[in-house]
Amino acid sequence: MSGNDINRRDFLKILGWSGVGVAVAGCDRPTTVTLEEGKEEVVAYLQPEEYVIPGVGVWFASTCQQCPAGCGVHGRVREGRVLKMEGNPESPINKGKLCQMGQAGVQGHYNPDRLKKPMLRKGGALAEVSWEEALALLEQKTGSSSGLAGDRFAWFTGTVSGHQSVLLSAHLAAMGSKNHFIHETINNAVVRAVNQDMLGEAMPRYDLPAAKMILSFGADLVGAGASPVHFAGEYAKFRTGSPRGVLVQVEPKMTLTGGSADLWVAVRPGTEGVLALGIANQALAGDEVRVAGLPENIRTLITGYNVEKVAGITGVTGDRIMRIAKLLKERSPSLVLAGASVEGHAHGYQSAAAIMLLNMVLGNVGKTILPSGSSAFPQMEAKAGGTRDLLALADAADKKALDVVFFHGANPVYTAPAALGLADKLKNIPFKVVFAVHPDETAMSADLVLPILSAHEDWGTHMGLYQPEQKSISIQQPLMERLYPDTKGFGDLLLALLKARQVKEYEPFADYYGYLKNAFAALPASVKGDAVSAEDFWGKSLQKGVVNVGTVAGSLNPKMVEISFPEFKGDAQDYYLVPSARLGLWDGRHANLPWLQEAPDQISKVVWTSWVEMHPATAAKLGVKEGDFVKVTSAQGAVEAQVYVYKGIHPQVIAVPMGQGHEEYGRYAKGRGVNPLKILAPVIDAKTGELALYGTRVTVAQSGRREVLVKLMGNETQLGRKMVGTVTASVFDRTEGTKNVT
Amino acid sequence: MSLDNILTNWSRYRKGAEEGGFHEYEHQWGMVVDLNKCIGCNACSVACYAENNLPVVGEKRCGKNQAMNWLRIERYWDEPDIEPYKAIPTANVDVWIEGNPPAKKTDLKPSMPSSYLPGLLEQGGQSFEERVGFDGTKSEFQDFGASFLPMMCQQCHAATCEPVCPVAATYHTPDGLNAQVYNRCIGSRYCSNNCPYRLRYFNFWSYYEDAWPEPLHMQLNPDLSVRDKGVMEKCTFCVQRIRVAKDMAKMENRKVMDGEFATACVQTCPTGALVFGDMQNPESQVSKLWSYHQVERGKTKQSKQNKELRGYRILEGLNTDPSVLYLERVREV
Repeated sequence: MSGNDINRRDFLKILGWSGVGVAVAGCDRPTTVTLEEGKEEVVAYLQPEEYVIPGVGVWFASTCQQCPAGCGVHGRVREGRVLKMEGNPESPINKGKLCQMGQAGVQGHYNPDRLKKPMLRKGGALAEVSWEEALALLEQKTGSSSGLAGDRFAWFTGTVSGHQSVLLSAHLAAMGSKNHFIHETINNAVVRAVNQDMLGEAMPRYDLPAAKMILSFGADLVGAGASPVHFAGEYAKFRTGSPRGVLVQVEPKMTLTGGSADLWVAVRPGTEGVLALGIANQALAGDEVRVAGLPENIRTLITGYNVEKVAGITGVTGDRIMRIAKLLKERSPSLVLAGASVEGHAHGYQSAAAIMLLNMVLGNVGKTILPSGSSAFPQMEAKAGGTRDLLALADAADKKALDVVFFHGANPVYTAPAALGLADKLKNIPFKVVFAVHPDETAMSADLVLPILSAHEDWGTHMGLYQPEQKSISIQQPLMERLYPDTKGFGDLLLALLKARQVKEYEPFADYYGYLKNAFAALPASVKGDAVSAEDFWGKSLQKGVVNVGTVAGSLNPKMVEISFPEFKGDAQDYYLVPSARLGLWDGRHANLPWLQEAPDQISKVVWTSWVEMHPATAAKLGVKEGDFVKVTSAQGAVEAQVYVYKGIHPQVIAVPMGQGHEEYGRYAKGRGVNPLKILAPVIDAKTGELALYGTRVTVAQSGRREVLVKLMGNETQLGRKMVGTVTASVFDRTEGTKNVT
Repeated sequence: MSLDNILTNWSRYRKGAEEGGFHEYEHQWGMVVDLNKCIGCNACSVACYAENNLPVVGEKRCGKNQAMNWLRIERYWDEPDIEPYKAIPTANVDVWIEGNPPAKKTDLKPSMPSSYLPGLLEQGGQSFEERVGFDGTKSEFQDFGASFLPMMCQQCHAATCEPVCPVAATYHTPDGLNAQVYNRCIGSRYCSNNCPYRLRYFNFWSYYEDAWPEPLHMQLNPDLSVRDKGVMEKCTFCVQRIRVAKDMAKMENRKVMDGEFATACVQTCPTGALVFGDMQNPESQVSKLWSYHQVERGKTKQSKQNKELRGYRILEGLNTDPSVLYLERVREV
């Protein structure tokens, strides 16, 4: 190969699809090059297609769609196939890094069980139909002449952002409907509500490196959280600062973040808020000035929780409470966070508010909790979801208030607890249309299933759920041609829907690609940087994958809210059920990706199935050991799985991970393990209306069956050898600390 | 390595680097794993599956220890680094730090360096079951979290897997890697039998028959093969990426630059806990980390001036001379 080739290769290494974009979006031509037109079996690389160098991988920037974090990715494309995902270093969210879910994105794209043709329910069963028939039916049921208007139409989606969100809102407006249900099982909706009320901003910015200590009440920052890769990077900075940041994790069951804690504290579920107030009380002890400065009601509230009382309620020893308070005082500024295990109770809002109050008492607001502000394009920002909209859908369906619902990016039939009776209630909706890539439970119970392009085949723009200091729009571009000719882009379909309602604004655009390109041309000059023309900006944007946009400065307005807790009674005979979230299978959406099925759970190391976590004391009481099957029964149903015993869980807690127990969803997911969401009690957080995921009580009984629990690991212990060495933080500060080792 | 080779060169090979015997390396690829940053998230492992055509074997075969996870993350619940001191305050620390656990606790000799882990020593006396938290409260919980340990082929320089191969399918490359020649491998599995880290993986089945149902096979990386039944395989430090980087450097008539490329696990690691590079380049990040932590390659016995430095190699006492340096995890005690 000559030198010129190398330069050309370098030039092509990271490149946008701008030149071939129209062809990608608009037609189904195979990527192979033909010698003569019409003879597709003759394939030669004598004259390779533009951007295809045989044997050389080219990297294209795009956006990961595996969770709402919106990480920028580079997809390696060789001979027209996408092979491997890497993080995009240009993205301020993930800075070139990627988690296992992002890595496994290609398996969603190449999944052998993808939807390939539109399907229509005929006589009870789904049968394949042509797009013409499907779109004609769509037009008939939802078009201008359908008579459908107003709130009898709804969209039900996962987190949406970017231009999809803009088009979706436009479609809702055209339909005259306000019903946009946004559903995420793994969410921080309660914390957002607390932040909104107490800080004036739903998602402030957390400055981890500035914190000398993090006290996390179940916040799985680096695991199943709002932005796992971003916070993992921030965590590394926090841990290598000087002094090294201390992480104390308080939760009923060890999360991935808890696994890295300096001190891991088991707490009785639902009492985290009380513990926060107890710590606040201790932190304020002796500081008469600060105490006097507090509003009367807050002072009464905090001083009401002395150590003995708090220890009694939470099950955390008094010494430990005082030690944590002392550490927080010594290590200011700190950061106190609330996570899913705090939110998931009937008084979840109260607990999260108490935790934010602790932040205020410690003076963290303005130091480690900063105003995030908003981007210059608020209409593109991520619309966060929760479980309240899942309840709202069930309710609306029950009341027969909906005629047509469009589903996209959410699988409510799988995630809804059986107590909601959603599957039955959905029968009241005459026309359910699912835009989906995979045959999930919701798709298989729909009236019309429209197969859409995978995330690696489609166009889009996204804004991450959590925006760091630098706000950005991340571009999703096709990493290869569509695998199946009878699939369509979601954006293209949205445009078609808008055109069907005669929305003039969108008529000039032949397809979503054209719309996006036009939208980019219309962006203000401040965003375009040194681009000399609209075309130049478009090309540069695709190449970089990320457009950094300006921030509208925000401010935090700390405000106290009323906090009150229910009476905490002693432990009953039954257990608290923790439906734990995993960075991996997430809320079950990744159960069809074989890599993630075979990637062990980080804590238990179990693969391919569900399991029941319990404390050794609990296991001894029940007379079970690892591998025994137990039946976990709530008032709403029962699940059966094998036991895993370890000391990272409260003895009063039974944890069953989310993700498995699919009834549909392809060969890798179907009929595997159990879904703990199904047996949840319909407990609601009183203030926000969110489903209280951790509010279910269960009984546990031996099934009598026993099998080896399949884990991917060597030993549970190091057998006396130094496999993982440990040093104290003081040693670390002494030997490394501020030194720049490399 | 043939029998002849073993007989004539064994000693030279075994102590190669130390005695200046086997030193004509082009590169010496090495790695550093900072357990202070590692959160055990598994991104590295899945990235490895994606890069190296690792088959998914399914639940049953996982249960038979037949999974092909070249890079796995061990998760330990105990902390022997802390425990034995407490159980037996007179433990001979040097002995087991270097990988030879004492046969019986009573065999231990009172020669523990007092500078080591002072904070932990003061606690004294409890077994793992009686662990205390850093606040001194007795607890039946996992107070210090978990201990995560990413384990990939350690690319030993005195590799125990190499000399036992009857057909020289596993050998040492001029890059300092333990290479596996699939075409030569006859599946004797002596090498995996001899690997103290359990990091060699055998193809007991023709996994390709069901691991990549169409169109999943389209994801396969064309830069390396899909292995068939009867062949041993293991982490290669992404040798295909090394190959590309070396070729590029050669064509551009320059040396491979530090940070120019990384293995799949290193590139994806969300916390930057993994560092990869050429140890022959003194300016590389890995070289600097190794020398900062005073761990030297090719030494039968390390002479660490500052015992507090975190660098260590797994089972160092076996004298396999691994290319992967681990930095101890840190806990506020």
